[in-house]
Amino acid sequence: MAREFQRGHKAKLSDLTPGTDLYVGVQIAAPGLTFDISCFGLDADEQLSDDRYFVFFNQPKTPEESVQLLGAQAGDTESFRVTLDRIPEHIHKLSFTATVDGAGQMSQIGPGYLRIVAGGEEVVRYAFTGSEFSTERAVMLGDFYRKDVWRFAAVGQGFDGGLDALLKNFGGEVAEEEPAPQPGSAAPPAFAPPAGPAPGFGAPQAPHVPQAPQPPAPSFGAPPGPPQPAVAAPVHSAPTMAAPLAPGTVPPPAPAPAPYGQPAQPPFGQVPGQTPPPGPPPGAPPAGVPQGTPQAGPGLQAALQAYREAPTGQRWTSQNQQLMRADLTVGGTPVLARQGSMVMYQGKVDFGYRGAGFSGRVVGNATGQEMQLMRCTGRGQVFFAEEAAHLHAVELQGDGICVSAENVLAFDETLQHEVRRIEGHGIPGGALFTMMFHGTGTVVVKTRGVPVVLPVTPTTFADSNAIVAWSAASQVILSSQVRLRRNAYPGHSGETVNLQFRGAPGNFIVVQPYEV
Amino acid sequence: MNQQLAGYAPTPVAARMENHGPAMLKVAMAGGQDLYARTGSMVAYEGFVQYEPNPSAVRQIAAQWLTGEGTPLMRCSGDGLLYLADYGADVVVINLDNDSLSVNGSNVLAFDAHLQWGVEKVKGLAKFAGQGLWNVTIGGTGWVALTSRGTPIVVDCGRGEDETYVDPDALVAWSPNLKVKGKRSFKASSLIGRGSGEAYQMAFSGEGIVVVQPSEDSTDRLRIRG
Repeated sequence: MAREFQRGHKAKLSDLTPGTDLYVGVQIAAPGLTFDISCFGLDADEQLSDDRYFVFFNQPKTPEESVQLLGAQAGDTESFRVTLDRIPEHIHKLSFTATVDGAGQMSQIGPGYLRIVAGGEEVVRYAFTGSEFSTERAVMLGDFYRKDVWRFAAVGQGFDGGLDALLKNFGGEVAEEEPAPQPGSAAPPAFAPPAGPAPGFGAPQAPHVPQAPQPPAPSFGAPPGPPQPAVAAPVHSAPTMAAPLAPGTVPPPAPAPAPYGQPAQPPFGQVPGQTPPPGPPPGAPPAGVPQGTPQAGPGLQAALQAYREAPTGQRWTSQNQQLMRADLTVGGTPVLARQGSMVMYQGKVDFGYRGAGFSGRVVGNATGQEMQLMRCTGRGQVFFAEEAAHLHAVELQGDGICVSAENVLAFDETLQHEVRRIEGHGIPGGALFTMMFHGTGTVVVKTRGVPVVLPVTPTTFADSNAIVAWSAASQVILSSQVRLRRNAYPGHSGETVNLQFRGAPGNFIVVQPYEV
Repeated sequence: MNQQLAGYAPTPVAARMENHGPAMLKVAMAGGQDLYARTGSMVAYEGFVQYEPNPSAVRQIAAQWLTGEGTPLMRCSGDGLLYLADYGADVVVINLDNDSLSVNGSNVLAFDAHLQWGVEKVKGLAKFAGQGLWNVTIGGTGWVALTSRGTPIVVDCGRGEDETYVDPDALVAWSPNLKVKGKRSFKASSLIGRGSGEAYQMAFSGEGIVVVQPSEDSTDRLRIRG
């Protein structure tokens, strides 16, 4: 089990885990903010004497690849792979830091953590929240340091000045830092790939990286986990579109592959077309550079690097926003999933019928189709997805959640579940079927589009077609608003069915931007 | 108004094929460097680009999948910028460097005409033939663009001790050197797969990669529209 660390706690890594190939994940998020998460490799004087050991979005690994930036995955905002054996002698300390990109301060952040995973098991978790900080714009989260042996310390020390101040603290080479380590304040520079150490992001790791099952193989495309889709998704997916929304921001900190090969910020107001682009790659009119530099390096492997499988280890891993992987070997208990939601599996997995007792009760939901479950047993990994809907793994630890039956994709068999029927006029099919889960385990919920999570207040209503889930402690009341609208379109009954929720503070509902 | 929209202007051309946003492909066309693209995938172009909707080369190579309604590929030639899209599907650009790739036919968006390519039917899968699905093997050095409904995933086939099984509706592409066979899962017959009672998976074994999309919607939208 993971040991919970508090600020200031220290321990020998060998006491925590025998492994030296570690995965370090950092989750930090705040509404509207993005964070640059970096790792400084410091010498015995705690100075950054070799700037090749500053691992950040522009330099995703050290020369001998002892520290590699892996990107957002498995619920972590940023993740690293640290191979302690390969860290050269002169590096005495690895300091993991997070800085606010742009305006904002650390007190705004929600609950976050730094964790260490070894051999697929989380061994350390240092949790923090915004209330521990005030106006800081950077924070040193934790250190690996060498004192006879490698040790880990949960630091949690803030810095007012952001990345600049951190760099100064680590050796004062800010003056000649070149445009590479960019705090959010400056206008975006041309963002050329750094000359030497880090060429196209995917290229160097291309050949056969994820061969070994355990070590966290790079998986750059993995999107941020459920908690912060709204923050990160648009930036990552569409570099060219990010510009008008946030002219002052730096390209995304997380390793979306595109920015590295992109020559420059999109030229604002360029007359679309015939004008030769004013940007950095000069010399050629639009049609003239056909076989130019590839975005991520040549070759099949490099091009697909962004979509690599996430490292194994956890039972449920969010591969990207739309794909969830269940590793049946972890935990060993079967998974129940909606029929037809399996897109791929590896290993020896059997798919069986779940039994009529359950599905019989769900017959006749909205569209009149049955919801049938299949039971996945055996050893191997199963990938679930459905219609490219967004998937969210909800981990229950003794609490309960109600999920609209149509939005359940898969869940651990260890969870207790029951089907409930909410009847009411106006609901298509006559009733809304929900599944209530409680116990310990994970439910995978699918939503069409990015959902909104609302706290339950005395006046919380949701459309019965758009509701996805709600915490089981809140109470549902059906409120039919019969209202004859003058402008009701032909065929519209004028009646809308809403669900009203009541509950103690702390309850929430989840609504999707799509009415089934 | 211009201000808000200006950010969507095309970025300067840096390569033969680039993504413009997640779902649009921008191809820099030049004389002598022709392109095969899905018929109907063109959404815009600048410059002088010509389209040959029923090229004889394609007819010969692709005789298998011709069903009398014309080829699903068109040959594009000329100078300019060409924008392609397939109903909002994610576009993945690949620069082949003496590699080869087998792509599910409805997931091909465009590829360089000078690449070696061929059409084949996957053995053992009656479903494929019945639906008129086809499978293109592309090899050489050049550019290929694929579409995927949702962000795809790439797995190493040889990773597990066992084979990799994929729902054919979710399959996008795979390394041609993999061994492919159809598998009917008896235990779950009529439970896996899309409702039809066809519980097929494709089993891959060997060294190579498999690309899968997070959707079992293999509808060929460009084809349906005709």
